[in-house]
Amino acid sequence: MIITWRYHSHHSLMESFDPRTRWIFSLAFLFSVTMFWDARFLLFFFVLSFLWYFSGRTRWSETKRGWMLVSILLFTMIVINTLITGGGAGGVVPEGGRLIWPDGIPLPFGILWHFGLTYDRLWFALCQVLRIGSISAMFLAIPFTMDPRLYGVTFRRIGIPDKLAYSMELAFRYVPTLGRDFSTTYDAQRARGYELERLNTNIFQQIARIAPLVIPVTMNSILAGEDIANAMDLRCFGTRPREWLYELKFQRRDYFLLAISALMLIASFALTTFPLHFGKFWVPAFLTAFGG
Amino acid sequence: MKSKSLWKFGTREVVYAAIGAALYAVLALATNALQIPSAGNVSFRPAVVIPMFFGVAFGPIVGFISGFLGNFISDQIAGYGFWPWWDLGNGIMGLIPGLIAASIVSYKSGKSILKAEIFCVIGIVVGMGIASLSEMWVSGADMKTVLVGNFIPSVVPNLINGLILVPLLMIAYDAVVSRSGR
Repeated sequence: MIITWRYHSHHSLMESFDPRTRWIFSLAFLFSVTMFWDARFLLFFFVLSFLWYFSGRTRWSETKRGWMLVSILLFTMIVINTLITGGGAGGVVPEGGRLIWPDGIPLPFGILWHFGLTYDRLWFALCQVLRIGSISAMFLAIPFTMDPRLYGVTFRRIGIPDKLAYSMELAFRYVPTLGRDFSTTYDAQRARGYELERLNTNIFQQIARIAPLVIPVTMNSILAGEDIANAMDLRCFGTRPREWLYELKFQRRDYFLLAISALMLIASFALTTFPLHFGKFWVPAFLTAFGG
Repeated sequence: MKSKSLWKFGTREVVYAAIGAALYAVLALATNALQIPSAGNVSFRPAVVIPMFFGVAFGPIVGFISGFLGNFISDQIAGYGFWPWWDLGNGIMGLIPGLIAASIVSYKSGKSILKAEIFCVIGIVVGMGIASLSEMWVSGADMKTVLVGNFIPSVVPNLINGLILVPLLMIAYDAVVSRSGR
């Protein structure tokens, strides 16, 4: 099994920002957007996130898999939340409201289906699409536009402890090695007659069948880990701050995006708290009038 | 055997946290690619045992990083983006079993295995519970929705995987510990 990183340079505007700036902007966006349920504000965030997403110049073939996952998530949320359970949508949508089909939906054999979907909940489903879509657009491009060699130094410079950042760096570097070890073990077990894909077994047996793969790979890694830890100790790891191979430097555009991030977060907080209390769930008048 | 400090994060822990995270990512990707039959449309991820086992073997910090970072890396490689609340849930799934790390003397004794199983169950329920409840904050789903759509589909497969594979890994690790004298 060859494990490769999804990253390659797209020479895009998004990539021209410092990775720290990008993480701070993305997290500020996440916390800001989750303060709102008003579709007018959510639309602003939706547009902003897609402008950001397109600035990454990722191809559809790259992000297709991620968007499929988001679509499944959205479909589940909306179908279960809005259509099946008919719940109060996490306390956001007020109870009651005008039914779209107040007289029920006639089904064959004279059955009348009393379907409790209201205009408010339908509008709420749209808000969910805007909110989850925005968050997805903000974060989906990261694997394709951020150099994995920079994760360790990025998080170190953001402020996480040196050892933790180094652990992250090591994990990223270790993935291809473990991918190769996994392939070797898998091939060796197959040569001994091991079949992972045997069909006539139940789920418990299937999971137990994973053991001949998981156990050797894990134990070999642990034994190899002892050697790595000893080598690091011999080189006095942890006695002084680590020097990183790649150094990061803020440019003028980074300060600009950081200022926008701070402004977005402060403005969102100010708008949604006392005394303004904007951003709560809102249904347009035409929809309620249409319902009446 | 040396007495263990539960919250120590020295060189060994740095290395094992990294190995745990990388292993989680690789196994998650490998089993996705292998398409285990009979799992139906439920996503079974045997790799979830890695943070639980690394927690039990090396402590809560290693368990947490293995789960958090492993899920993060796996999503980065698969191209799923960044979902911090699910990373956090996976981290907690490794942290809670790690709380018994200091009390384990023999990894193959029935008592240790039972204790590990109980803490794995708590870890899975709390970790996936927090991740699922976060969906209420992010996507505005109600309790019923997160229970049906997120909590149960994530807890049940993880419980099956954890309860079967963690004891097997513990028994194998006991042999490694006995052989190496560590």
